[in-house]
Amino acid sequence: MNWYKTIGVAKQWGMPVGLAVLTLFGLLSALLGEGGIWWWLSWAALSTPLLVIARFWPLRRLLEKRKPSL
Amino acid sequence: MASFGSVHAWAWVHKWSSLVSTVFLLFLCVTGLPLVFTEEIFDWTNPPPAYAQLPANAPRANLEHLAAKSRQMYPGQIITSLFVDDDEPKVVVTMAPSWKELKRPGADHWIKFDARTGQVVEESHLKRKQGQPIIVFIRKLHADLLMGLAGELFLGVMGLLFVIAIVSGVVLYSPFMRRMPFGTVRVERSKRVRWLDLHNLLGIVATAWMAVVGFTGVVNELSAPMFGTWRANTVNRMIAPWQSKPPIAQAELASIDDAFATAQRALPGMSVISAIYPGSTIGTPHHYFIWTHGKSPLTSQLLTPVLVDARTGELTAVVPMPWYLRALELSRPLHFGDYGGAPLKIIWALLDVITIIVLGSGLYLWFARTSHDRTASRRPWSDRASHALEPAE
Repeated sequence: MNWYKTIGVAKQWGMPVGLAVLTLFGLLSALLGEGGIWWWLSWAALSTPLLVIARFWPLRRLLEKRKPSL
Repeated sequence: MASFGSVHAWAWVHKWSSLVSTVFLLFLCVTGLPLVFTEEIFDWTNPPPAYAQLPANAPRANLEHLAAKSRQMYPGQIITSLFVDDDEPKVVVTMAPSWKELKRPGADHWIKFDARTGQVVEESHLKRKQGQPIIVFIRKLHADLLMGLAGELFLGVMGLLFVIAIVSGVVLYSPFMRRMPFGTVRVERSKRVRWLDLHNLLGIVATAWMAVVGFTGVVNELSAPMFGTWRANTVNRMIAPWQSKPPIAQAELASIDDAFATAQRALPGMSVISAIYPGSTIGTPHHYFIWTHGKSPLTSQLLTPVLVDARTGELTAVVPMPWYLRALELSRPLHFGDYGGAPLKIIWALLDVITIIVLGSGLYLWFARTSHDRTASRRPWSDRASHALEPAE
């Protein structure tokens, strides 16, 4: 694989793989950890995908797009 | 990089695995949403009885005394099981007219005692008049469509298709999103393009959670065959020497407290939670079949049964649990999301809603496919054909 292809793959898959790793960590930390800090880490890790969705959901841009036609 | 031919093949896999399973998965996600809060809803619709206010270290009542009290309340009946909770201070004694009668649904009934005072706090026949709690009904719908084993296996297959759809969806993410930065939603394009981008975004972000909950759901649907295999291979072989012996009459049983203590000595690190009385279809005519579980959040999921001689109260054997039942036990919390407090449940519910949107948008993308897509998908896969995957305006 050429270096620019490697960069392309890393660029495309960085976020998905990172989020998957965070999710798995969050799922296991509450299960294997004994409450306390592990629950907090689990909640933080599992909230990340939700925050990413909130960040990219095009609500604001949609509103802006609709405004001129009002 | 996937070749266009293989992209076509994966697209076919994604399309059909999704099309077959989506309606059922939507049903599972919608019924699963209230189930995330089963405990809360159950306590709300069925408030727990008022227990006496006692210090946390108040000693537990003598179990044999509660058993005797139950027999006094229902003379001539037998005790089929006794359950001790470690969340609520309760002891539940289940009774039936006889083991034979128990095969008839509804023949059994239970008495709930306050574990410390030994007072009766609730009885099943009074509860049953209020009807089945709604959440129990939803759980049954979710687990087997009210069709028993056939429903469980059918939904298991649907879950497997869901897992296949997730894997093929991840493979397709690459050709679809190659030229766009992460999170792109092309709002300026048609509604269908916008929903395609959202489907890809939500799908890829929630992939790991959906895969875990989907896969553990499939494992849960296989619990009946797994327990059947274990009983046939392990339990039945262990109990074979006693199986033909006449059952021990309830009056001749060793004390249930002694049996609990024996199990506790055999597994000092475990909590002893219940006993099935000799004569049940699980277990033998000669033993208390006693269930124990671990004490940490993880090991409390892992149950280990102990056979205690019901005449002498002495240990016969600790029943080994095979790996597939351990896998089943671990897949339960990972499916239910009930192991990390209220915040985890809320996250579970939100990710469930995200899954509903992924499923719904997938269905929409199929229904709203343009005539261009339809003809393109019949064309031989060419170099330019990856564009056919992207919807025409």
